[in-house]
Amino acid sequence: MTLVELLVGTVLGLAVLAALTSAVAVAGRMLVAAGTRAEGEDTAQLAMEALRFDVRRAGWDPAAAGHAALVDARADGLALAADLDGDGGVATDSEESVAWRCATASRRLSRIVGLQSLPLADHVIGCVFRYLDHDGAAVAAPVAAGDLTRVRAVELSLLLLPPGISHPASRSLIAALRVTP
Amino acid sequence: MRRRRRRGGALVAALATLAFSAALGAALADLARTELRLGAERRMTARLLGALDACVADVTGALPAGWDFAALLAGADGTLGSADDGMLAAPADCTAVARAAPGGPVPDRIVIRAEARIGGARRHLDALVRRAPEPGAGGLLWLSAPPEAGAFAGTATIDGGDPDAPLASLAAPADPDALDAWIAGEGTHLDVSPGTLAPVTGPVPPLDDLRTRVLAAPHAGSEALVASGAPAAVVAYVAGDLDVADARAGAGLLFVDGRLDVGGTLEFHGVIVATGGIRVASGAGLTLDGELWLGVGGSALTVEGALVLRRAPGAVAAADALLPLPRRAVVAGARDVG
Repeated sequence: MTLVELLVGTVLGLAVLAALTSAVAVAGRMLVAAGTRAEGEDTAQLAMEALRFDVRRAGWDPAAAGHAALVDARADGLALAADLDGDGGVATDSEESVAWRCATASRRLSRIVGLQSLPLADHVIGCVFRYLDHDGAAVAAPVAAGDLTRVRAVELSLLLLPPGISHPASRSLIAALRVTP
Repeated sequence: MRRRRRRGGALVAALATLAFSAALGAALADLARTELRLGAERRMTARLLGALDACVADVTGALPAGWDFAALLAGADGTLGSADDGMLAAPADCTAVARAAPGGPVPDRIVIRAEARIGGARRHLDALVRRAPEPGAGGLLWLSAPPEAGAFAGTATIDGGDPDAPLASLAAPADPDALDAWIAGEGTHLDVSPGTLAPVTGPVPPLDDLRTRVLAAPHAGSEALVASGAPAAVVAYVAGDLDVADARAGAGLLFVDGRLDVGGTLEFHGVIVATGGIRVASGAGLTLDGELWLGVGGSALTVEGALVLRRAPGAVAAADALLPLPRRAVVAGARDVG
């Protein structure tokens, strides 16, 4: 083997190795991005499902004590009540009293039960609650205390942008409140 | 003889690349498999929740109209503490059992535990069911059976429009599509005002129980329909058919235990009940601000003259204050049990 052959072979080998390394790196980045994307989508979806369950049971009042389903309604959060154990009261330190908060500073959506704040989603770049009346018209937020009974449905629009992905995970949910007639 | 040296550099690189690619592919496949599984779980949860909601709506809609739920809690044998207590008829792939709600007895209410099954999955929901705040079945005209085509040879106006709480034109134990078709089939003889809700499927009006309550309460007779002056709101009971041949007016609750035949004019504020149906003769007129409940359907509804039926919550409430009227069952809340 001549020196020229050796050099040509080495260059070709390095080129192939660089291409392979690059391909593996790209594939690795794609895998990480796909995982991040999937995790973001799952997180957003789980938040929606959690809200749906909270809204569905809000106003549960088997003892007919007159509890309101929606206690507080703002653009960045809401508070729901339900007498889950049927004792006629709504305990503020249990699942009977649940609040949701969008914290723009920390870019976090949290579900608050009593004094416990449970982060549901981080890297939140958009989080808005809207409120709809019987006809589907928007009720301005924050909803005045006297207008809370007008609210028949809650809408949450959520945008998550975890690091490493370019397009945010987006979810929107409209959940109907069961209002005692 | 020279021996050729073996070289495996390319092979090693190829194998390493293959191993990397296989690992990446496996990771991607695992990710996809996880997402697919999560998606399937979510679809199943959504289907089960939908099935539960539909189950509770069907079961509640089929509950008889009435005043309380005592008979329902006692079951078919009418005895509390027996095996059939609270058992409710439910659609396929769903079961529903009622029990008394916790707390005081007023307002009367029950908790229905529904179970939906799809494939091998099942889910439970508690629904709080109570009587509707307004009497009746949600329709200005409440029939015991579907009406027959050609009931209106004259003109009928049904106005259930109300910006706050509109009423349906008709409630009857029939498919809403059939009721829609009946209204459409009456053509220009039947004018349903804008704002009136579409017909709804409703339970049979409990007229036997209502008769018992009317007879047990202080009540007047047909003299409650006055020829002049403002009528007092009373409970009136007429045994057998009632012919109104001249101009009359009344208010409150009029229970005709037979057929109401209007040959003159009748203006009424409140609720008219006619177990044997109603006929408005040609040239005659019935104007009712309130609701009309008929114990029979089919051809028992005959309007050859003019019928005007208007939503009047105040008049119905006044009748309800004189004698509590039956109400349909409605869902007042729900709690996913899991």
